[in-house]
Amino acid sequence: MSLQTPRVLPAHLHAFHPSNANPHVTNTVRILGTVTALRGDTATITCGDNGDVTLILKPDSHLQMGKLVEVVGKVTDVEGQGLGVRVLGSFDWGNPSDCGMLFPSFLDRELWLMVVL
Amino acid sequence: MDNYGYGSSSYGGGGGFVPGETNSPAAGKSADGNNTTLRPITIKQALDATQPYPEADYQIDGADVGSICFVGQVRNISTQSTNITYRIDDGTGEIEVKQWVDSATADTMDTDDSKAGAGKNQVVNNGYAKIFGKLKTFGNKRFVGSHCVRPLTDINELHCHMLEAVAVHLFFTRGPVGGSGGAGAAAGGAGGADATMGGVDDYSAGRNLPAMSPVARRVYNLLKTEPQSNEGLHAQLIAAKLSLPMPDVARAGDELLTAGVIFSTVDEQTWAILDY
Repeated sequence: MSLQTPRVLPAHLHAFHPSNANPHVTNTVRILGTVTALRGDTATITCGDNGDVTLILKPDSHLQMGKLVEVVGKVTDVEGQGLGVRVLGSFDWGNPSDCGMLFPSFLDRELWLMVVL
Repeated sequence: MDNYGYGSSSYGGGGGFVPGETNSPAAGKSADGNNTTLRPITIKQALDATQPYPEADYQIDGADVGSICFVGQVRNISTQSTNITYRIDDGTGEIEVKQWVDSATADTMDTDDSKAGAGKNQVVNNGYAKIFGKLKTFGNKRFVGSHCVRPLTDINELHCHMLEAVAVHLFFTRGPVGGSGGAGAAAGGAGGADATMGGVDDYSAGRNLPAMSPVARRVYNLLKTEPQSNEGLHAQLIAAKLSLPMPDVARAGDELLTAGVIFSTVDEQTWAILDY
């Protein structure tokens, strides 16, 4: 079984929480958003109109305010804030305004799952 | 009814009938390197691709694949004397990509690079890349033999690729956009996958067709467009025209008979479109 990191929206995080009974579901996801808050070891990214996600950073994550980032991480509980993502790796896509259409691949999540999973 | 060997259907059929070839030139012709299609896919699809028999073309969604292209993040680069091996991850899976180093081309590429500014056009670890190549297997391990691995820096290109992969997948599994009601409705979520996908072949005319395999669709299409008497066409002739092995045509025929869109006329192997 190869490693999969599904591209998700904040609303999908619960389906990938470790408490999820289905052992075939991975806890590692990919999420794309604009960095809107940096607080030392945590950060917040905003995924367009689809809500915010709290990230738990690693010491060597170098997120920059206002940049569009793609994060690969594990879904975990964040104290007092519900679900969040523990960052394993991040990729900086640069300026959010250079991204013509945010998240087209998530338009129909069921459809997308059908192709990739 | 599957007694026909591959040989009998390959070139023998047609006996004196000179066809006005109305099908797309790409139809048929597989396993001999003549498949010049380039299909956008995800790595999951590459890993799940099947081979009907050893040495045959790989198939994804029941359609032969020639060349493929995909995008993903580079997880590892290992440079050897004869090839560069990349490990690529696109979120749907991971696959190894081998790019053979030809000393002659390597030299010219070096010159090009130095002109363009060295290091600017480099594929780097954890960066995104777009890969063009062909599916291969060595031992039990699947990999991609690539002739082009280039860096990808625009996120729109990533999104575009993923949508293309979905659109092509839907084309092969559910038929062209607007072709059948069921497909159109189910694919509604994909929204604007536009009419260009439907333009590939004129399936869309007439009434709604049930979901069917690509081969069955081609057989149906031939029956629809080929000049014929009211006896329809014989399976052998269909096999010859579409360059398909007889068993495939027989299976497609069964499918179409079951779906009630064709009927057998003078014998069980001669079919005509069931029009009403």
